[in-house]
Amino acid sequence: MQKYRLVAIAILIVMLAAFPFLEPEVYYLSFMFSLFMYVVLASSWNFIGGYTGYLSFGHAAFFGIGAFATAKAASMLELTPFLTILASIPAGALAALVALIVGYPCLKIRGPYFSVVTICFAFVVELTVKNIEFLGGAEGIWLKFMDIPEKLSRSILYEVMLLLMIVTLSVAWWLDRSRFGAGLRAIRSDEEVAETMAIPTAKIKIQAFVLSAFFPGIAGGLFAYYLTYIHADVVFNINISILIVLMAMFGGGGTWLGPIIGAVILTVVNEGLSTFAQAEIARIIYGALFIVVTIFMPNGIIDFFRKKGSS
Amino acid sequence: MDSVLIIQSLISGIMMGMVYALLGVGFSLTWGVMHVIHISHAAFGLLGAYLAYSLLQYFGVDPVVSAAVSVPLLFLVACGVYQLLIRPITKAKEVIVASMILTFGLAIILENVMVLIWKADPRVLTPTYASGALIVGPFYFQYPHLVGFSLSIVGITAIYLFLKKTYTGMAVRAAWQQPEATQLYGVNLYRISMITFALAVSTAGAGGISLALLNSFEPHSHNLWLIYLFLVVIVGGVGNVIGTAMAGLIIGVITGLSMAFLPYQWVNLVTFGLLMIFLIFRPHGLFKQGV
Repeated sequence: MQKYRLVAIAILIVMLAAFPFLEPEVYYLSFMFSLFMYVVLASSWNFIGGYTGYLSFGHAAFFGIGAFATAKAASMLELTPFLTILASIPAGALAALVALIVGYPCLKIRGPYFSVVTICFAFVVELTVKNIEFLGGAEGIWLKFMDIPEKLSRSILYEVMLLLMIVTLSVAWWLDRSRFGAGLRAIRSDEEVAETMAIPTAKIKIQAFVLSAFFPGIAGGLFAYYLTYIHADVVFNINISILIVLMAMFGGGGTWLGPIIGAVILTVVNEGLSTFAQAEIARIIYGALFIVVTIFMPNGIIDFFRKKGSS
Repeated sequence: MDSVLIIQSLISGIMMGMVYALLGVGFSLTWGVMHVIHISHAAFGLLGAYLAYSLLQYFGVDPVVSAAVSVPLLFLVACGVYQLLIRPITKAKEVIVASMILTFGLAIILENVMVLIWKADPRVLTPTYASGALIVGPFYFQYPHLVGFSLSIVGITAIYLFLKKTYTGMAVRAAWQQPEATQLYGVNLYRISMITFALAVSTAGAGGISLALLNSFEPHSHNLWLIYLFLVVIVGGVGNVIGTAMAGLIIGVITGLSMAFLPYQWVNLVTFGLLMIFLIFRPHGLFKQGV
């Protein structure tokens, strides 16, 4: 069983990696790029939000930090395209560092209070970037285009984002089965009990938080290069933070598969609706989807099907 | 710095803060009593503002008078929303998460329905006294601001008296402290939850009208309102009416003072930064006990 699953995953990866060679339209490449990106964001958010139950509503901050750090580095040092893509890794590390500094005091706060402090944090970061000219200010930052045809540049970014998604999901896979992941789950079910069982809760919470900021930081860097122009309003948008949480919880928080399913469904539905329906009507249907799913599957899609399977 | 200007902006900050407190009071109650985080709370407030706008525009009804119609109307709507949507999810493993996702969907629907009906342009409430102002010495207060402010004071007082003096209000408080014991005393928790929810939504409506008297609004405004009322509720302590009012004052003073001393674009940064620090040191609000 395990073997077949590995083979299936390998085939899927090869198929996804081969997709740009079929010369699809740029639209599909862009769509898949954002799909991969949301899978990365939702899965990494899951490390802290899903497993420990600390619902961070400020994850767009890490995404934005990665985006602005990459853009700033690329425009200041006049990096080549290849180096710009690589620069997103130190940018992710910067996001992780910020998470370490912020996480230390904030992760002592529990429940909805933690959520609110992360919202405040995201605003503080956004407004700081907007107000300080050097960091981008109100005008945003332009990046240089790649000096190659659009389709080729889109294909390259597609493959890079795919790689990032595979790495993120591998880490998530490991985490789901490790002692570390078990410790995080223990925090979610009862933090006091976890502590008396000699689980170093404070330490692993911060580790999970840092890890969950690292990958969105890299994704932000790639996204900046993908857009070639970034503005604080775009990358720090609170709707991104909310969307990440919804994707993960919609599919089922604290599971490996949940955020993937949530991200895929919501991205596809959102895209499909905005193509086929009038904007407001599309949003209304989108909103109704949340209501219907929560009423019938209050604990996420994964949980719903697991129960069905076992009964 | 001109002291008149400082006091002027301090007072307008406080007025704003009290209006946010009225918006927040209901949010705080649903959170405290029902463990429902009602993301569409501010959207219902905005709906109240738009109803007042239309009644004023087409029938010339003053916003304060129309509140007497739209607030009970929102109460009824909210009862329906509770029965149809909120009640089914109270059995979820994590009610807070489920309620957030569900009401987030509701907020999207309300927002876009409002776009369809009233278009996306910013609106202002312009009652007959809109251009008038009360002048006291060097200070001056626009009448709509005073009316909005008074409306919010009346609203908060009404909710406070309801909780302290009426039988139903006491049952709500009891449900917040000891849900099981309350049931043993023959209180129907579902009925209490429905009343709490409906009451919360109608205060949001009143709060929305007050806020519309102070500021312009558009269908997306509820997102920003929501963030502010979150802040007011957290600082005041969840489920605490007096605490929420005090928090409204405090946040009003902070924004008022930063308005006076800082360039405009730094005001929000200071507000959110201070709140973040505040949360780290006093995560459960300034005032301990609930309801």
